[in-house]
Amino acid sequence: MLSWLLSGIRLPLVLAAAALIAYALFFASPYDMRILTLCGIYALLVLGFQFVFGHAGAVSLAQATFFGIGGYITGIVATHFGAGFPVTFPLSIAGPVLLAVVVAVPVLKLEEHYFSLATLGIGLVVLLLAIQWSDITGGTNGLPGIPSIELAGFVLSDRRSVLYFVWGLVLVGCLISYQVTRGLYGRAFHLMREDRVAASALGVNIAHLRFAAFILSAAYGGAAGALMAHVIHVVSPENLDLALMVTCLTMTVIGGRTRIAGAILGSILIVFLREWFRVLENYYMIAYGVAALSVLILAPYGLVGALERLRVLLFGHSPRPNPPQVPEQAPQAAPAGEYDHILAARDVTLAFGGVRALDGVSFNLRDGEIVGLIGPNGSGKTTLLNVISGLYVCEQGQVTFRGQDITNSPAYLISRRGVARTFQHIHLVDELSALDNIALARAGIDGAGLLKSISTIGSDRRLERARRIALAAAERLGIADVVMEPCGGLPYGTRRRVEVARAIATGPALVLLDEPAAGLNEQEQLDLAERIKTFAADGITMVVVEHNLVFLAALAERLICLDRGKVIAAGLPDAVRRDPAVIEAYLGLGASEPLPIAAGVP
Amino acid sequence: MITLLQLVINGLALGAAYALVALGFVFIVNATGAVNFAHGDLVMAGGYVAFGLGALAPIPAIYLLPLVAILMFVLGVALALLAYFPLINRPPSTVFISTLLCGIILQNAFVVLFGPQAHAAPPLLKSGITHIGEIEISIQAMGTMVVAAILIASQYLLFTRTQIGRRLRATAEDRQMAQAVGIPAFALIASTFGLGTALAGIAGALLANQFFVYPTGGIPLSVYAYIAVVIGGWGSIAGAVIGAMIISLFQVVVSAYVSYAAATGLLYMTLLLIFVVRPQGIFGERVQRRA
Amino acid sequence: MKNPALRGFPTSWRHGSAAMLGLGLLAMSSGLAQSADAYLPIVMPITGFMSVEGGSQRNGAVMALEHAPGGKTIDYPVFDTGTSATGAATALDKALSNGKPIAAAVTVFGTEMVAMMPVAAEYKVPLLTISGLAKITESGNPYIFRFLPNDREIKVAHARYVVEKLKKTKIALISDTTAYGQGGFALLQEDFTKLGVKPVYEDSSIAPDTKDMSPLLAKVKASGADAIVVHSVAAPMALIVKQAKAAGITLPIINSSSIVEPTATALFEPAELNGVCAETPSAPETRATPKIKEWADAYKTRFGLEPDGLALGQYDGVMMVLTLIAKGAKTPEDLRAALQKETYEGVAMTYKSNGKGDLSHDAEIVCWDGTSRIPKVVAHYAGADMVLK
Repeated sequence: MLSWLLSGIRLPLVLAAAALIAYALFFASPYDMRILTLCGIYALLVLGFQFVFGHAGAVSLAQATFFGIGGYITGIVATHFGAGFPVTFPLSIAGPVLLAVVVAVPVLKLEEHYFSLATLGIGLVVLLLAIQWSDITGGTNGLPGIPSIELAGFVLSDRRSVLYFVWGLVLVGCLISYQVTRGLYGRAFHLMREDRVAASALGVNIAHLRFAAFILSAAYGGAAGALMAHVIHVVSPENLDLALMVTCLTMTVIGGRTRIAGAILGSILIVFLREWFRVLENYYMIAYGVAALSVLILAPYGLVGALERLRVLLFGHSPRPNPPQVPEQAPQAAPAGEYDHILAARDVTLAFGGVRALDGVSFNLRDGEIVGLIGPNGSGKTTLLNVISGLYVCEQGQVTFRGQDITNSPAYLISRRGVARTFQHIHLVDELSALDNIALARAGIDGAGLLKSISTIGSDRRLERARRIALAAAERLGIADVVMEPCGGLPYGTRRRVEVARAIATGPALVLLDEPAAGLNEQEQLDLAERIKTFAADGITMVVVEHNLVFLAALAERLICLDRGKVIAAGLPDAVRRDPAVIEAYLGLGASEPLPIAAGVP
Repeated sequence: MITLLQLVINGLALGAAYALVALGFVFIVNATGAVNFAHGDLVMAGGYVAFGLGALAPIPAIYLLPLVAILMFVLGVALALLAYFPLINRPPSTVFISTLLCGIILQNAFVVLFGPQAHAAPPLLKSGITHIGEIEISIQAMGTMVVAAILIASQYLLFTRTQIGRRLRATAEDRQMAQAVGIPAFALIASTFGLGTALAGIAGALLANQFFVYPTGGIPLSVYAYIAVVIGGWGSIAGAVIGAMIISLFQVVVSAYVSYAAATGLLYMTLLLIFVVRPQGIFGERVQRRA
Repeated sequence: MKNPALRGFPTSWRHGSAAMLGLGLLAMSSGLAQSADAYLPIVMPITGFMSVEGGSQRNGAVMALEHAPGGKTIDYPVFDTGTSATGAATALDKALSNGKPIAAAVTVFGTEMVAMMPVAAEYKVPLLTISGLAKITESGNPYIFRFLPNDREIKVAHARYVVEKLKKTKIALISDTTAYGQGGFALLQEDFTKLGVKPVYEDSSIAPDTKDMSPLLAKVKASGADAIVVHSVAAPMALIVKQAKAAGITLPIINSSSIVEPTATALFEPAELNGVCAETPSAPETRATPKIKEWADAYKTRFGLEPDGLALGQYDGVMMVLTLIAKGAKTPEDLRAALQKETYEGVAMTYKSNGKGDLSHDAEIVCWDGTSRIPKVVAHYAGADMVLK
């Protein structure tokens, strides 16, 4: 318990929270209570926004809209129908969630700017409705006379009880956030926002995660909006306009986009900055803008990040957690049925603009084979791996894995069926330890859904299992001794091995390695080749894309050579390297020497 | 009788000004990838500069435009130094927010410097209406269209035909690589902000005569610029111009047949429809993700 | 990841500035010292899109407070509401908890007033406003006192002038989508119907930042209207008038008071205002009476601006309260009771509550003849003339 408290910045945060609570309990004037209540409402809004903006990494501009819709539902249902809090509150959450569900399908598919503008567009439409539909919404003047919260006969009419109630709900919100993000499910979010490509290749269903994040943000937004309506007793279009969205964004970025403490710190700071500067009259917003901009520039990871860096500066790093005790082997996914070839490609064709990256590529792979994929630069090797692993969709042709057609399957499904890969440029999360990076391999496969994560009590068993599997994979790559260090600090060769370990940890039947020997010295290459052979001996089929024919010589049982998107040679390594077409592709016309595999070897 | 043709001409005249606004916006997007949500406030700044200069020297604005452009260029560089460069290694959403905050600072600085009320800038040549056949068009609107056409054409040529344009595009594509081959990336980026802001300023000076300039006038313009650039295709100059025209035609032509609110609603619905049917916009390219 | 911007910021700087910030914040959040005879905070929109109107009313309030009768000193800090309902509620909260207020001079913006009303009821402090929004005195809240006519009353004057004096029967009724616009639109619709003249064209969907009014004017022309009635904030109203004139539309245009503000008429050439009229509670810039002239000149000297009806209304309201304080009102409750029953001769008019907190029941119609930016008073309405059954 003590070690938990002393790690990171938990201790000062707990003390600050205790001070604030004591202040609220004993010293706060009615005005202070109002301000603190507003802080709580905004904290809830920001907590929700963190799901989509922080954890899922998508700049949604609809958060204020969800807030406003929640407020309007409360206002309309309370004033037109006289319903009480137990009715209006759930409705105020359900309304935005429903809108989120409806727009999620088309909107979440969009990239970056388009996604942001689509959410902005939805917000503008709702704003227009709020202004024009004045019979229902009261128009720009708004809906006044919204009653106080009444629960089980108690009316929360005084400021103190409202303050406690709002912060009680904020605590519930924090708890849900914590549950969603602390386990393996939360790790999937982290991977997804750091590196979408790697996440897909590891079986993370990105569409599901973004959807869940979007829905959660809507639910929190609606709840916060409903509370605001009860506190101010009026709801108007300003509850869903762009200015509020800017405030929400500012609070989130300044507090810390993925940290629960950040949501609270951010909302408290911005609300208090505004209040303190209000007496400056004309200069009020200028001062606020300057202050907020300064914090933005000086605290790159928000206030929470800045505080943590300060802690490291003053007191050094927190002690690292211990690695798991016992490793566990990753189970391999069972095949669906009988099959001849583990991987079969037939006439795969893909063009980018006018360039045919792949032109009628066909080949078969047998269980447990190690096949080298070679060819000059630009011949389509990585493109072929991308098509097999589902990151690209080919225009013609078919790819079959263990007898099942995976040609048009999404990357995460192909990964879950048993295909793993590494990348030319290393895709790891620098801040996490090697063990946690490898454990991310299980996020897509074992990660439970949203509801299971929220209801998990105690430590997340899935996360612990993922770590045990990661340890086993690390041992197989010979890096178990450095497995607890952050990846950013590891030498290049070790990072390469972490990536391979991550691929192994998914329990694959087929592994695609994209230039795994690049940048390794001779000793490391020999070591890696040996380890790859042990994987093949366990029955894992390996496809190794390489330029380094020395490396492949020790390893590959067969070679396939590509040139300009076509397979120009396939077969035993010796035959392929003497093949005139292959020699021409690499060395040009007129060359007659076979491709060398080592100095002095004919 | 106001005919459909008259309304279309009015729409194009307004659209010319919007196109200039979108142009400056897409210029900055093209060279830095940064979404500058203070852009509308920069347009207002140009209007205020024109108003201020006009109060000192009551001459037609056409003589003031070069000075407006220069002052706005300086403001743009200042904005880059404040909102972009300190955050250059952060995720792009951080720059989004820093520009928003700069916008807030600008809006309130306007209130302090010029008061909260609306002001009018001097006309480009002179006030008044002229007739081409049956069509009435204000001299200001004609002047705006001519200036916009010149600036759009020259910006297009700058980007596609000149060495500087190539360097700008290289810097936007991969800044570190561009620096590695000797392109002075930071100077180019600062100039880009300057140039984009100068364009915004000229748009503001042109708009401020007929439509006034006031502190909160920039907010809808930032939204329109964003919408125009997304409809047209992210980064496309022609797309930004077309997108701006679409917005103004909705505002002027469509709203003659339905209410303003309905026309605005239809514009937003069209925007959302484009996302469903053709998400990359009119001239945008579909991009495959590379591993 | 290293942040280049942080290079060169020594740790001690960060500690030091954090400490200074903390101390500064602590200092500012504590209450202000009270040594004056009374505390009357000003809570108005100084920033945001109502800041023109907020500035005017602030000036009017300040002018009164600087000349408090009976030699009383008043403490009157200004709190910005930011043209926002939430902002207004918290600003009023802060103002009322900062000392022992006897009253507060507050916003002209209707939506902010609505948010402030519960706060006033909680603190039991009278609010002195010039907002026209009808419902603030029609909801049973006894703490609201307004010193410009209720929009409900002034719109009757507006409608009556068009129908009874100008004898127009085909009205084009236009408003913007601001709170002010929507409120006035609904009232004018009601009034025209009661006067037996339903408008031939209605449009309340003009966004306040609309630039090209030609679609609107096309529709107005097509409807065969013989008069245009506009109720909106200044900028769109000015554009409608200007573009109508440029399009050769010669119909009379009768506006709400937004155009009467000197900052609005400054946007016109005098010739463009020919045939344009407006309702207004008072038009101090016309300097119609010696009392108003004296006040207007003093205002111009003090603030360097021409005054408008908002400033005058707020001035009269605050001065009435200061006079009551000089006569012995000590607590908010004293003041509230006095405001409900006393009569006060102000600069613009005589003020007396109708029992619900509306103290102003006078309005004028002013028209421009194209020779000057200062209009002339052409009609006067008061009391029962501003009520339609």
